[in-house]
Amino acid sequence: MTLFVSSVQRFSVGDGPGIRTTVFLKGCNLHCPWCHNPENIDARPQTLTYRATGKTVLYGKETEIGQLVEELAEDTDFYRADGGGVTVSGGEPMLHPESVAELAAALGKRGIPLLVDTAGCVPWQSFEKLDGLIQMYYFDVKTADEDLCRDVIGGDLQLIKSNLQRLVARGDCVHARIPLIPGFNLSQDSFSKMAELMAAAGIRHVDLLPFHRLGAAKYEALGREYAYKEMLPPDRAAVEKAREFFGKTFETAVEW
Amino acid sequence: MRKITEALKTELDQVPAGRLSPELLRMRGYAAHEKDTPYRRRAYGLAALFTSYEPFIYQNDLIVGSIRPLYMVSNESEAAEAKKWMEIHKERNFHTNADHFAADYMTAARIGIPGLLEHIDRSAANGQHSEDELDYLSSMKITLLAFRELLLSYARKAGELIGTEGYDTERLRMIQDNCTAIAWNAPQTFAQGLQLVWLIHTCFVSEGKGAMALGRIDQFLYSLYESDIACGRLTDDGAQELLANVFAKIGESKYRDGTYDVINICIGGTTPDGKCAINPLSYCVLHAVDEVHLPGQNLSARVPEDAPDEFLDECLKVIGTGLGYPALMNDSVNMAALRRYGYEEEDVRDYCMVGCIENFITGKQPAWSDGRFDPIMFLEDVLCKTPTEELDAIPSMDAFMERYKERLAWGVDKYTEWFSRASAVADPKMCTSPFMSCFCDCCIERGKDINMGGAKYPSTHGAVLMGIGTVSDSLAAIEQVVFTDHKAKLSDITAAINANFEGFETLHELVKAAPKYGNNNDFVDKYAVWYTGYLADLFDRKRTYDGGPYYIAMAANVTNIYAGKDLKATPDGRLAGQPLSDAASPTYGKDERGVTATLLSVSKPDYTRCACGTVVNQKFSPSVFQDGKRQKLRQLIRIYFSRGGQEIQINSTSREVLMDASAHPEKYPTLVVRVSGFSALYVILPKEVQNDILSRTQHEAV
Repeated sequence: MTLFVSSVQRFSVGDGPGIRTTVFLKGCNLHCPWCHNPENIDARPQTLTYRATGKTVLYGKETEIGQLVEELAEDTDFYRADGGGVTVSGGEPMLHPESVAELAAALGKRGIPLLVDTAGCVPWQSFEKLDGLIQMYYFDVKTADEDLCRDVIGGDLQLIKSNLQRLVARGDCVHARIPLIPGFNLSQDSFSKMAELMAAAGIRHVDLLPFHRLGAAKYEALGREYAYKEMLPPDRAAVEKAREFFGKTFETAVEW
Repeated sequence: MRKITEALKTELDQVPAGRLSPELLRMRGYAAHEKDTPYRRRAYGLAALFTSYEPFIYQNDLIVGSIRPLYMVSNESEAAEAKKWMEIHKERNFHTNADHFAADYMTAARIGIPGLLEHIDRSAANGQHSEDELDYLSSMKITLLAFRELLLSYARKAGELIGTEGYDTERLRMIQDNCTAIAWNAPQTFAQGLQLVWLIHTCFVSEGKGAMALGRIDQFLYSLYESDIACGRLTDDGAQELLANVFAKIGESKYRDGTYDVINICIGGTTPDGKCAINPLSYCVLHAVDEVHLPGQNLSARVPEDAPDEFLDECLKVIGTGLGYPALMNDSVNMAALRRYGYEEEDVRDYCMVGCIENFITGKQPAWSDGRFDPIMFLEDVLCKTPTEELDAIPSMDAFMERYKERLAWGVDKYTEWFSRASAVADPKMCTSPFMSCFCDCCIERGKDINMGGAKYPSTHGAVLMGIGTVSDSLAAIEQVVFTDHKAKLSDITAAINANFEGFETLHELVKAAPKYGNNNDFVDKYAVWYTGYLADLFDRKRTYDGGPYYIAMAANVTNIYAGKDLKATPDGRLAGQPLSDAASPTYGKDERGVTATLLSVSKPDYTRCACGTVVNQKFSPSVFQDGKRQKLRQLIRIYFSRGGQEIQINSTSREVLMDASAHPEKYPTLVVRVSGFSALYVILPKEVQNDILSRTQHEAV
């Protein structure tokens, strides 16, 4: 089986416990306008040329899982400390549950845990295929507003909610990840609703990810307009306020 | 930074007029003792240097010792007279073991000046010495007595300054008491021990010596620190304040030409009985260096396997401020490397560093000397000096390597012959170092100069090997393109490098595409392993002029740029004039698979063959030094060390670096932005987005 890998980033320090390698996969079923990895939305391979360096990069190299595992296993020594391992991100890795299951199993044989970074808007059957194979899920909670979810990012909140609940209920380790997006969910009302949703699902850990526009160059290289190009990252005070609020109910960390 | 340190730094910023002119004072001693023996005349020169200037005390001094008064403006006749004497009593230089020395401050702090004088007297009276040795012992004594006078003149000066505006009476009294006390007794307090060591160091600097290491200050002052703490005379903060007061004065070195001297300070490591030597004073030293926050205080942390996490964590916090220190040294690898040379185990455990990273048996060997050995030059020789037909008749990579090995062996012969000749001075009796010899083990017992058989061990020379990355990449490119894929002949490579790849664009692409060192690819990494082992073998067979070993190092951080300027293009695709790979690092920007892959590659060579030391530079963005992330960096270092890595010099990409990267993206091809769930190189980001990161960085620095 193969995966369309857009990049492999070693010593990723923000994508889970310990020292990790993050595998970014192609293809996403949402279209969040602030997305920082727009090169991973289209499932097909794409070649981008960056203006600043003139460098051309291929995103979406079709890679045999066996070969990918060989590459990922190079860092086994580094993963061993503090629960490190591999993180699969994207795009939406849950669009390829069979391949991710095979990857998880192959890594598992070598004692390397796999973390899945997902927005959760996929049929529950996809998560069923990964039962017992995943160290931890990073599960995005972008909004608790059904209309916003449908209209802005193209998601089905009911499906996301139910997946989150079922994952936690199944006994998986799930951390909720909230991107703090100005003009989208950066309000007290929105925080309260998200907190309610997460509490109902039984979530205990929350990571806050302040918006950044580091993906801007990728939009330019893709020839796409970036809706958030002019949007400034939230200031420290706003992020701190969010941390305080969620901190009342959940174990909360900010991932800068 | 506390107020007194800041105020002292401001005082230090005032550059004195004139130039550092120790010879003007030395010659007075020479002239007054013209008829004496050369040893003693040499010593009187130093005595004049130590005693014929008015000591200078900064308003914010807690510990005294300044070379400011030695900045002088000379008249012509004085200068001519000094020059005449300098012809008679020549000065040693870097190649003749003049400086880059770590003194035996352990003994000095324990027995003080009186103890050393007694030691000399006892040695002179033991009836075992020749006339020559007795003459030398008396020259050592002259310098120590002059040093005592210097201490007393500082004490006097402190007394005289009491009541002067800007000076603090209590501090002056402390200086007066400490200097008087250690003139006549061994140091009894931490402040006295530090005062003694700093003034000895100041005397070395006043002689014109550079890169004189302070060495293992957390060890040789530890018992004084401990007893002061026990009786409530000192706190950790007080110790840090005193240390910062000393380290700030390293800043005086920039008066000469605006650049800082490289004063190595070593913390941590292993005790003489083999235990982890990290102690509370190690942390005081670390924080004092951070407090002063200036270059020149070249802090090295010896990290033993059982170093507590807290120690590495504190080191990383200091590195994360953007200071770039301490350099982290794998203690077990360094000790294993030194053990190969038969030093006594206790001496191995007591090593420190001089200069940037050079391993040194503290106070037991002559001053350091090194040179640059450039293996790339010899690869160029094989390719460009072998006739075309002969070159293309080379049947295999192994056969090619035999040619290269022969040429390297010839190069090492030439290099060592040159240095062994250059290191032996014509008339060692005329350029003795009687003061430095007082602080080198065995010189007093033997009655001999440090460079004339006095030191416990003979001299070592460090051959600093250039371009491990460039060589490995070049050999891999030859193997790939010529002997594996058969896409070019060796003579094509020669023609291409002669033409700087102009007209050889296809071949240029082929060699650039070959595997590069630093990506955990054995096809190329095997050449780095070979390079280290083979050159270590060659240098192991050589001896310095006095029978000491030639060590190897990979630590050229700047000279790789100059060396590259003189070289043609290389088979790895590097163009003529471009820098060679630096130190022990892969070629800059060619380690494209991330830091773990880089560290997997660079931990493959056997660094227990590199007794001099190696440097691997790595940059991380400031976010990696935050709480919660820093432990991952610590783990990265632990794993790297457990795999045999020798050294890592970590830099936090400060605001300045990021700004430079924005202005010169070509210099930072692999600078990674680490944000959760995101992957990008810094240099592809648009300016305004780079500014987001800059403002974030600024925030973190506060």
